[in-house]
Amino acid sequence: MATIDYTIPGEPDLETLDIHVNVGPQHPATHGVFRMVLTIDGELVTDLDPVIGYMHRGNEKLPENCDYRQVIGYHDRTDYLAQFNTEHCYVEAVEKLTGIKPTERSEYIRVILAELNRITSHLMFIGAFSSDVGIFGTAFMYAFRDREFVQDFFEEITGERMMFNYFRPGGVAWDVPDDFRERCTQVIDRINSGLKDLEGMIVDNEIVLARCRGLSRVSTEDAINWGLSGPLLRATGLEYDLRKAEPYSIYDRFEFDIPTGKDGDVYDRVIMRLEEMKQSVRIVEQALADMPDGPIMAEGMKRTLRVPEGEVYMRVEGPRGEYGVYLVGTGTDKPYRHKVRAASFCNLSALRAMSIGNYVSDVIVILGSIDIVLGEVDR
Amino acid sequence: MTQETVQEAAPPPEPGPLAKLLQELLPSVGFTIRETPLDETVTISRDDFLAVMETLKGHERLRFDFLRCVSGVDYLTELETVYHFYSFEHGYKLAVKVRCPYDDPHVPTVSHLWTAANWLERETQEMYGIVFDGHPDLRPLLTEEGMGYFPLRKSHPLADIEEWQEGYLSAIDEAKRQAASASGEAPPPMSKVEIAQAKAKLMKEARDKARAEGLSPEDEKAAVRAAIDKFNEDLESGQAGGGAAAPAPMSKVELAQAKAKVITKARNEARAKGMSTEDEKAFVAEALKKFSEEQDAGGAPAAAPKKEMSKVELAQAKAKVITKARNEARAKEMSTEDEKKFVAEALKKFSAEQG
Repeated sequence: MATIDYTIPGEPDLETLDIHVNVGPQHPATHGVFRMVLTIDGELVTDLDPVIGYMHRGNEKLPENCDYRQVIGYHDRTDYLAQFNTEHCYVEAVEKLTGIKPTERSEYIRVILAELNRITSHLMFIGAFSSDVGIFGTAFMYAFRDREFVQDFFEEITGERMMFNYFRPGGVAWDVPDDFRERCTQVIDRINSGLKDLEGMIVDNEIVLARCRGLSRVSTEDAINWGLSGPLLRATGLEYDLRKAEPYSIYDRFEFDIPTGKDGDVYDRVIMRLEEMKQSVRIVEQALADMPDGPIMAEGMKRTLRVPEGEVYMRVEGPRGEYGVYLVGTGTDKPYRHKVRAASFCNLSALRAMSIGNYVSDVIVILGSIDIVLGEVDR
Repeated sequence: MTQETVQEAAPPPEPGPLAKLLQELLPSVGFTIRETPLDETVTISRDDFLAVMETLKGHERLRFDFLRCVSGVDYLTELETVYHFYSFEHGYKLAVKVRCPYDDPHVPTVSHLWTAANWLERETQEMYGIVFDGHPDLRPLLTEEGMGYFPLRKSHPLADIEEWQEGYLSAIDEAKRQAASASGEAPPPMSKVEIAQAKAKLMKEARDKARAEGLSPEDEKAAVRAAIDKFNEDLESGQAGGGAAAPAPMSKVELAQAKAKVITKARNEARAKGMSTEDEKAFVAEALKKFSEEQDAGGAPAAAPKKEMSKVELAQAKAKVITKARNEARAKEMSTEDEKKFVAEALKKFSAEQG
């Protein structure tokens, strides 16, 4: 970015002071209780200091006093827009340590729900982000109309709108309703038609093109070094998805593509999410066709779940990137250490590097493109 | 730093391909291998730490360019930092662990090698107190500055509030009982919490016994029920016996109630005898006087052995002395100066008594 020369010929050098601007914590553009201290030179951001922790609830300490099954509820409350994905990660971590094998049917249910959850999370992103760039109203309404439809579907299955608490080590809490296939097909149809609307609204939109193209370009090398993951990393052109790179659960049985970008700019990050939703629909369709009947809980599960001595770092591909759980078991019914690797946390740590040299209004767009969930950042 | 093998009884696991490669590239470094699902895990000593990290990042046969996660773990005598890596070029997955003693929690930073370590180390520092030497900015991230403790350490327990209160209440009861036995009084009856605890213990014992004997569920219930009934009976008789031997000092409410009883009894007696109103009053007054004398005599032994006062009690006693002295001085119509002197003297005397 070009620096502006403010000196006026013939005038003595005046001492200038930096201006600090607080954005947040209660600001609609910060997507939650997030604050950033901008140091600005005119409209140009010369420094940025993110301030987080407003929603720190001890989500890593609390599970140390909880039974292994009670912890599942805390994972709903970390990334509260991708609850099934986070639960999936945790129950897989427990299964890795105990050697419990989940049943076939429950594996398919988990994958279907996790992929649909990815779609609702991305819909939320598109809705909120379009407001950030200045497309007010329509895109937001399109996204939320479809998201609510899927949310209702989740509620039918789990009984809860947001905090599902549905996955269990060894399976799922209870079987899905009888009309699961029928309703799931309805949901997919709805998403497909909604995606067409959204694509028409976003991809060639003049506002999106003008504001997002070429903004905050990140090279693959930088992205890896900064610890970025998920759509942000793929937007730089790297074909890396944990579902393919280290297939967990039953993801190796499905055919799907990993969309990648070219420039690593904000525009690519948005397109990445639109494409990912289509791939998720593909996975759900395949999983629905193959889903077998059968038990939903592994046999021989004990009332008290004791995890033998050992440790595992389980990671899944969440909507925002790599969501990981580092679990240390000591043979008791409570985790000894329970660390959550939050994708938003690591992605947000790169905000400063991504923002410096841009204008204040663009920083809001860059922040929006990271797609932070403060519940996950602060834990 | 002592290099502890994490698994003690079991023989050390076979090194995986990655551990073999590391040993080949860094022959002078001791790697302790631990088997974990998904990743290969090695523990290294703090002295080798930076050399190993630089090799991991820079060596062309390793190229661990992605730092996924940094976690602290509290092992009570030592603090551990765990780094999870991924190599995009080779697809390698590795976890590296390093330990530091509790009283010297320092580990070199790796934020100059992986920028991602910046926030991850900051978080570990504020939660575990592990100082990452050379880190550019170690301000706390999620908690406030200058908190003075490290919330994720095991020395900062997160007990249930009930558990905490239970411990607190029983500690108070224990202190009371000790004070009472020191002054020669009978121990106070069990607190509610203690009774509940004792009952729970009894129920568990009865149930275990019944199960060991192989009783049917109905018989088991009956056995537990009988145990509880017996416990309740014992408790009542025990309390009655204790009460007869040495009455506990009455509370204010109890005292007022007892007084009211005495008054009613005396009045009824007087009326039965057909006394005049004057005589009745005098009779009741006498009964009351007798009652208070009895109370004083009963309470006297408690005052005899002087106990060490608590701070609050001391302050209260002092305040009493001051008020008393001031009132006395005013009754004598002293000047303000003299009053002050008088009060100061009384206080001095009090302190001397207290020692």
